[in-house]
Amino acid sequence: MTFDLVFMNHTITFTLDEKQTTVNVPTGTLLSDAAHLAGIEIGQPCGGQGRCGRCAVQVLSGNVRRRSTLRLSPEALEQGFALACQSIVEGDAAIHVPQQEKIERNLTTDRVAAEVQVPDGYAFEWSQPIRRATVHLNPPTMDDQTDDWSRLQTALRTQHQLENTTASLALLRRLGEILRASEWQISVIYSNIGSYEAPLFQILDIRQLEDLDDPVYAAAIDIGTTTVSLWLVDLISGQVKAQVAEYNSQIARGEDVISRIIYTGKSGGSADLQQRVVETINRLTEAACKRAKTRPENVIKAIIAGNSTMIHLLLGIPAASIRLSPFITAVNHPPILASREIGFNFCPDAIIDCLPGVASYVGADITAGVLSSGLDTAEDITLFIDVGTNGEIVFGNRDWLVTCACSAGPAFEGAGVVDGMRATTGAIEEVWINGETFEPSLRVIGGKKAKGICGSGLISLIAEMFLTGLLDKAGNVNLTLPTNRVRAGDHGGEYVVAWGAETETGRDVVITRVDVDNLLRAKAAIYAGFSMLAEQVGMTLEDVQQMYIGGSFGKYINVEKAVQIGLLPDLAWDKFKFLGNTAIKGAYLALLDTQQRERVDDIARRMTYIELSADNSFYEAFTSALFLPHTDLFRFPSVEAAILSKVESQRSDS
Amino acid sequence: MPIEIPKDKWNGKVRTINLGATAAEGGTRAKVITVGGETSMPYLHFEAPTPNTPLIAVEIKSRKPTDWSPLLAEAWGEAMNNPAAWAKAAEAAGAEMLILWLTLEDTPADAVSAVKAVLAASGLPLAVFGPGQAEKDNDLMVAVAEAAKGERLLLGICEDKNYRTIVATAMANGHLVNARTPMDVNLAKQLNILITDMGLPADRIIMDPTVGALGYGIEYGYSVMERLRLAALQGDSMTQFPMLVTVGFEAWKAKESKVGEGVPASWGKWEARAINWEITTATALIESGASIVVLRHPESVKRVKAAISELMTA
Repeated sequence: MTFDLVFMNHTITFTLDEKQTTVNVPTGTLLSDAAHLAGIEIGQPCGGQGRCGRCAVQVLSGNVRRRSTLRLSPEALEQGFALACQSIVEGDAAIHVPQQEKIERNLTTDRVAAEVQVPDGYAFEWSQPIRRATVHLNPPTMDDQTDDWSRLQTALRTQHQLENTTASLALLRRLGEILRASEWQISVIYSNIGSYEAPLFQILDIRQLEDLDDPVYAAAIDIGTTTVSLWLVDLISGQVKAQVAEYNSQIARGEDVISRIIYTGKSGGSADLQQRVVETINRLTEAACKRAKTRPENVIKAIIAGNSTMIHLLLGIPAASIRLSPFITAVNHPPILASREIGFNFCPDAIIDCLPGVASYVGADITAGVLSSGLDTAEDITLFIDVGTNGEIVFGNRDWLVTCACSAGPAFEGAGVVDGMRATTGAIEEVWINGETFEPSLRVIGGKKAKGICGSGLISLIAEMFLTGLLDKAGNVNLTLPTNRVRAGDHGGEYVVAWGAETETGRDVVITRVDVDNLLRAKAAIYAGFSMLAEQVGMTLEDVQQMYIGGSFGKYINVEKAVQIGLLPDLAWDKFKFLGNTAIKGAYLALLDTQQRERVDDIARRMTYIELSADNSFYEAFTSALFLPHTDLFRFPSVEAAILSKVESQRSDS
Repeated sequence: MPIEIPKDKWNGKVRTINLGATAAEGGTRAKVITVGGETSMPYLHFEAPTPNTPLIAVEIKSRKPTDWSPLLAEAWGEAMNNPAAWAKAAEAAGAEMLILWLTLEDTPADAVSAVKAVLAASGLPLAVFGPGQAEKDNDLMVAVAEAAKGERLLLGICEDKNYRTIVATAMANGHLVNARTPMDVNLAKQLNILITDMGLPADRIIMDPTVGALGYGIEYGYSVMERLRLAALQGDSMTQFPMLVTVGFEAWKAKESKVGEGVPASWGKWEARAINWEITTATALIESGASIVVLRHPESVKRVKAAISELMTA
């Protein structure tokens, strides 16, 4: 006998932007789930763990049970606030949902996107495994009752010498309709899935007759934890026809990979995340196709780069073991898949090729990055970092490659910092501080009032505060300086970057001691990663001959400031090269050319992964980097010189 | 066959630091004592001489402590009621330096009068430590530093939380600071950098790397000290400071010293065991490079002193 617990249903009314929506849900439903039913998405940057406090909603009437109120102040509690991810429906209630921080869709338009050069010597026939054939069929008659599929196979054999052909069920289902709609004059897109000696040709798509120079579309995709980028490519010319990017809509379920993996542990979590990223990619494909005046179902192939967690989540493969020691992925090198298996809006048989990763925290975004940066063929000893939520580092040249990942945390993306934010409108992106008055000058994205500080702003802020003596080398705010911008706050000493009167919220934008600590930990983790890799191969960072910085964030980092805080090693400025999103460039190169695609496999095989948590030496390197710029000042001669000249000029002034 | 002992040659040298000031230097101490100056790992006399003998400092408190072992109360007797009398007794027991540890109950005025009384009672160089709560330490130590200007006191506890105030007052009043960090080479070095960045001359810093007693992490403290000395000898100027270790404070916290009843008979006599705990901890840490050991029991002073003289002549 099943014992039915009788759950009462309750009426929950949500108000958002003065619009009311009502849902009926049983006792015990999470407010965030009830909101979801009501069509309201409440952002959960921490993945619904009750850690970030950003999903706070106000209970106007009725009662909810608050399982955790850790992130709510006593005043907020008094005003009826509750965390949507931690509060449970126990009766009818009216809930006010505050304005959500809008995740702005930051579409890169072709106008601002960098021109992408088609590699020299690109030729569709030579570089691609994909072919397009024009096929003229005789329509069936009462005398020729050959079935559609045999008719096509025969024509391919006689007109194009394709002896062995196969097709998916999905294609067979569409076949008859297309043949008739195109009056038996068609273009067939196919690819050899057998060997060179014993070819087996898979029919990927059948279309109304196309001209020989009509585009054949494919996509290069990079799934970042924060941003998903897609380039729509014409395989005939090799040209990029559209570049689009959008925030990964999984962000609403956690800002970093760990929160997302935790979210997959919730009921339906894995499917939710899979659906979110697929929807993001489908939206991007539509936008790109619209620009190129084509349709998503014409996309015949996609190469996908992304960190290991993103690839697992995309494929719906359990990712839990990535998070737990000994940190093992389910698959580093997924087999070739068909679009329909994943749910993309491409051609159902489109080839989906996820690039190979190396380990749980060094994924296909990095192997693709090595490919596009040319690190694997470089003569010079090169240090490559992809700065994102995790800092993945590769060190080496054409003879050897070592790699590691250090969990820098999302501090440089604005999380874990009181007034941190992503690099969108209203973010302070650069700061200069006057060494005598301690007054800052700010540059704000969009030129509007400041809302908060983004990663590049934080780096420049910390460097300036350090050089002007507002911060000591340990990151303590010097409260003895003659300025009202330093003060003791709830989180230790703080510095007011912008007064309430100058900000959009009307509140002071500040940086606190705790924020500085979080940023120092992030930069120390990255620098310690550099030192460890160098040490592992018996070198020092002075041996580095060039430094490549990847990741979209990398583009905006001011090298001088990043060196001053000890995030990047103290090399001559001309040794730094900013490469932007190296992952998508790598995916593009691998998409165009089978040899480049094979080179990625080779890179993945060649990279030796160093697990930093295997012994204490990383911790040692980390604590010595937990200082401005570093405990060993000799590692940063240019910064030492800058400090000395400052001290001397102050002495001569006084 | 003669065996040649391999010798290490180092570039670095631990700084030589003077504690206390006589009338000639603007203070009232009977003499100045010098620590540091080593150019080899500890007591490898065949590599380099040990220029200065490690010092024994005795810990006294501004008020009679209520949480000290009855064994210590018995040893010091009435002297514990009064810092001046305690200072005299400590000097008589063989102390070469005194550490006056202030308490949370002290007001700045109390602290100043205790320091003045001790300075008047004994001519030994003096260290004054606050109770270890950053804000309270700041209040007390500023008052003490001003009142004892010119004495070259060793001021503690100077940590990363409150170093600014302590260092500023040490600079203004001609004292030294005891830079304390929690058992970590990098943290020790970082605090020394912060202190010298403020402009305090490097010959006015003693490092306190924090240690554990025998059985309570002594190995960890030992190896941090050893690594600090190695870094100093390799030329890292921000680790080239003599080290002070608060042995008495650690050793008398250990269960083996604290508890006299309900322990296995094989542990032996309580008093002997407690004193041995302090002595063993002290001698081990001296061998890893401590220049100043802070002790509590008069018997420990006597016996550690004997051990030091053997080490110096060995």
